[in-house]
Amino acid sequence: MDAEALDEGGSEGTPAPPAPDGPLPPAPSPDAEGPSAPDAGMGGLSLPYQIAAVVALAAVLVVACVHVTMVFLHVAPANAVTKQHGEAVGDWIYPEFEQNWKLFAPNPLQQNVAVQARAEIRTSDGGTRETGWYNLSARDGAAIDGNLVPSHTQQNELRRAWDFYTSSHDRGDKPNGLRGDLSERYLRRVVVLRLADELAGEPAGGPAGGTIERLRIRSATTNVQPPPWSDEKVSKKPVYRELPWWNVPTDDLEVQAR
Amino acid sequence: MRRLDRPLARLAHGVERVTATALGPYQSAVVRIGFAATWLLFLLREFPHRHRLYGPDGPWSWRLAQELIADNGSFTALMWSDSRGWFEIVYALAMLSSVLLLLGWRTRTMSVLFMIGVLSLQNRSVFVGDGGDNVIHLMAMYLVLTRCGQVWSLDARRAARAREHGAARAREHGAARAREHGVEGRPTDRVGPVLWWFCGLGLSVVTFMGVLGWGWSLIFWGFWLVHGVWWALGQYAPYGEPRALFRVVGNLIHNAALLVIMAEACLIYATAGWYKVQGSRWQDGTAVHYPLKLDYFSPWPALGDLLVSSAVLLTLVTYGTVIVQVAFPFTLFNRRVKNVLLAFMITEHAVIAVLLGLPFFSLAMIAADAVFLPTSFLQRVGRAVVRCRAALLSVVRSRGRRYEGARAGEAGGDEQGEQGEQEAVAADGETSGGSGGGPDGGEAEDHARVGFTP
Repeated sequence: MDAEALDEGGSEGTPAPPAPDGPLPPAPSPDAEGPSAPDAGMGGLSLPYQIAAVVALAAVLVVACVHVTMVFLHVAPANAVTKQHGEAVGDWIYPEFEQNWKLFAPNPLQQNVAVQARAEIRTSDGGTRETGWYNLSARDGAAIDGNLVPSHTQQNELRRAWDFYTSSHDRGDKPNGLRGDLSERYLRRVVVLRLADELAGEPAGGPAGGTIERLRIRSATTNVQPPPWSDEKVSKKPVYRELPWWNVPTDDLEVQAR
Repeated sequence: MRRLDRPLARLAHGVERVTATALGPYQSAVVRIGFAATWLLFLLREFPHRHRLYGPDGPWSWRLAQELIADNGSFTALMWSDSRGWFEIVYALAMLSSVLLLLGWRTRTMSVLFMIGVLSLQNRSVFVGDGGDNVIHLMAMYLVLTRCGQVWSLDARRAARAREHGAARAREHGAARAREHGVEGRPTDRVGPVLWWFCGLGLSVVTFMGVLGWGWSLIFWGFWLVHGVWWALGQYAPYGEPRALFRVVGNLIHNAALLVIMAEACLIYATAGWYKVQGSRWQDGTAVHYPLKLDYFSPWPALGDLLVSSAVLLTLVTYGTVIVQVAFPFTLFNRRVKNVLLAFMITEHAVIAVLLGLPFFSLAMIAADAVFLPTSFLQRVGRAVVRCRAALLSVVRSRGRRYEGARAGEAGGDEQGEQGEQEAVAADGETSGGSGGGPDGGEAEDHARVGFTP
């Protein structure tokens, strides 16, 4: 942990600078041959240990190369190799080495996707009442405006919950397996939390004493307009995708913001 | 045969080099500091929202997480219990391990705890993360395998002190006796073994509870055992060959892990770049305009408008981004070009941090970029930090001295005054060491000596 640091001064081919953390006395101390001496590598070992070191070298090299190859195949487009060995790649990568670096690629998202919701509320006097649509994403957007450090709760929570839902459902809102089911329950809890916030902020005559019984979610997708100097024309009208009414189980009402 | 001599000699030289030294001590240290700081700042930022993001009663409830994790088998300590108390403990430990890894205190142990903290929180709620979390996730695992505390760490300072201690003994007692006392002469380290036993205890409890999969059990127990053996060898057979072999293997793993970190950074840029090349918006030069108009990524719309106002500027930035990302891995073969591109990318990430409202993603990417910074530059930065601190401390010290002087004057004794001053200086030495955390820890020694002879 120590003297190597001194060796390393010129590792990139620069002239070795004065020892950075070297209160070593100028005369070599007898201790210098000890554990803190500039270390010998494999050459300083006897044969049996050298063999062990070679085995270790080979193993480390193989694992590193395999790992980099696997990560490469994981991030590369589907190809002939992954067609044949995709399972091996997946086994190596998932769950801990999963990654996605298509950052704003191949094309950046060119639409603002706003998640909106409305609720059906059972009021304390036994009646029911439907609220209007709340634009939940607009709240996030407002919270991010002028914010140097947006929170994941503002930037990712709702946005990615909706992504999760759309990627695990077909256009007819049919879930695909476990993830589809999870995404519905997650999105519902996220929205309950947001609606509770919205309703709490309503003036008197709001949901006081009432509970959310059902809720409905929709997305409003609006094209980002091209730059001002561009002659490209895109529609300004939002496109809606409306989910059916969902019942809200009592469990979900206990979702906590803090 | 003759022809083979030179390549063979080179190979031998290379093998000797990667087995004898853990390369890139400054680079691995700066990566360690960068990622520990990023994660720490993130945890602090989200502290008020921690329950909502990762807590058992948040939107992604413990039960939902359990179903997903039963399916994908990722590691998270937060699934060991659904109690709020356990959650608070894990969050606190994640913060603590980040601080200690940042300072380089017991770096080997802290890097493992840091990884546990990162994986536990991120895998608990995968759907609140973004690219920044992804980079931290990967690097937290790679850092465990690097000897990232060789410089700029409290560990390095302790090692330097032990060395100084040994040298002083040698001067006092003569070489022969020093050798005799070699190991015994060092200040004994009690904290290390205690920490080791403590980790073993924790690991035993977790193993006994049966919450740890066999793969992770193997990894953690392996780390623990290796650590114990390494300590024992240093204690009882410091000059023996087993210890030398351990060091060789440790260096090998460090060097390989550092290489993987570099490859990972290159893959990130290559993927980001090559996929962009295929996009029509990146081709027509307007791609950068669009993210700046997304409600979720436009904290400063006016700044974005400024960038978009000129077609030339927008195209330059769009094309520049793609070119830099695609080109970067290839520039590693040329030091100078690499450094220029590195400066570009770090600047671009700093801009992204503000313009797209992605500070933690950008910090993480800058920390990853830092692995490519030249040693000479890092050392210059290190020295500058030390100078800054020295200047700061000398101000504090001169004030302290004035205070001491005044007190001594009241007492009326010259002798006493002198003594007081000496004490003040000694105390300063302590504080300058004690506050030596962070990037300057390793060079604290240097400063401590300079500080005594003003």
